[in-house]
Amino acid sequence: MGLIQREIEKAGIPTVSVSIQRRFTEEVRPPRAVFLDWPMGHPLGEPFKVDIQMAVIKSAFKALETIKEPGTIIDLPFRWKMVEDLKEII
Amino acid sequence: MMGRFKNILLAKLFTRFPKLIGRAFAKVSPVNVVGIPWAPFQKPLNESIIAIVTTAGVHLKDQPLFDMKDPDGDPSFRELPSATPSHDYKITHDYYDHADADRDLNIVFPVGRLMEMERAGVIKAAAKVNYGFMGHITGRHVDTLIKKSAPEVAARLKKENADAVLLTPG
Repeated sequence: MGLIQREIEKAGIPTVSVSIQRRFTEEVRPPRAVFLDWPMGHPLGEPFKVDIQMAVIKSAFKALETIKEPGTIIDLPFRWKMVEDLKEII
Repeated sequence: MMGRFKNILLAKLFTRFPKLIGRAFAKVSPVNVVGIPWAPFQKPLNESIIAIVTTAGVHLKDQPLFDMKDPDGDPSFRELPSATPSHDYKITHDYYDHADADRDLNIVFPVGRLMEMERAGVIKAAAKVNYGFMGHITGRHVDTLIKKSAPEVAARLKKENADAVLLTPG
């Protein structure tokens, strides 16, 4: 994912990715990422949990707006299946 | 066929026991990259057209499946129109367990959420076309991806006036 992201950014389009594999993201060095320690196949959370999915996207957009240092990975403070972590954002 | 069965089984194990992933990929040789590309995001979000690029193996049911037989993966891409109803999409990807994503595509390809953000005025619009890749690209196809398919998608996104791109894995 990060390699594709880099090519899009090179073309002049700002990008942000949702990472669930921090090691790979660190290695490939995309311009901006948010990281969640969540299971594979679930970067936006659980099926039909619209609030959680929205919280992840909003956090990614916030990263897009605020990251100024290329290669920044923001660790989102959302634990897997812990809705209380999302209180402030949803 | 046995190879595919093994991959699907491993994917289920990795989803349930994430600690196994690190061990399984410990031997995968690192990709060497130089520098970090940068395009500043200067437009306000509510004036921006946003496209999604997903590597979760999402494609339309009438598009060719991603190739699961090549051990280096499939570096090709599929066009994913935002207006397509989710039941016309499917996932071909043996390297992660997509049972949950099959029930709700938004957990790997959040186009429904993006359309809602468009209606709410959070973003100007969801791009008309998004792009789908299959992750798990290794070996000789890393080059195909970096030199051919990824730049081609980037050029299309540029032509289609995407102001920013959200990338989501499988």
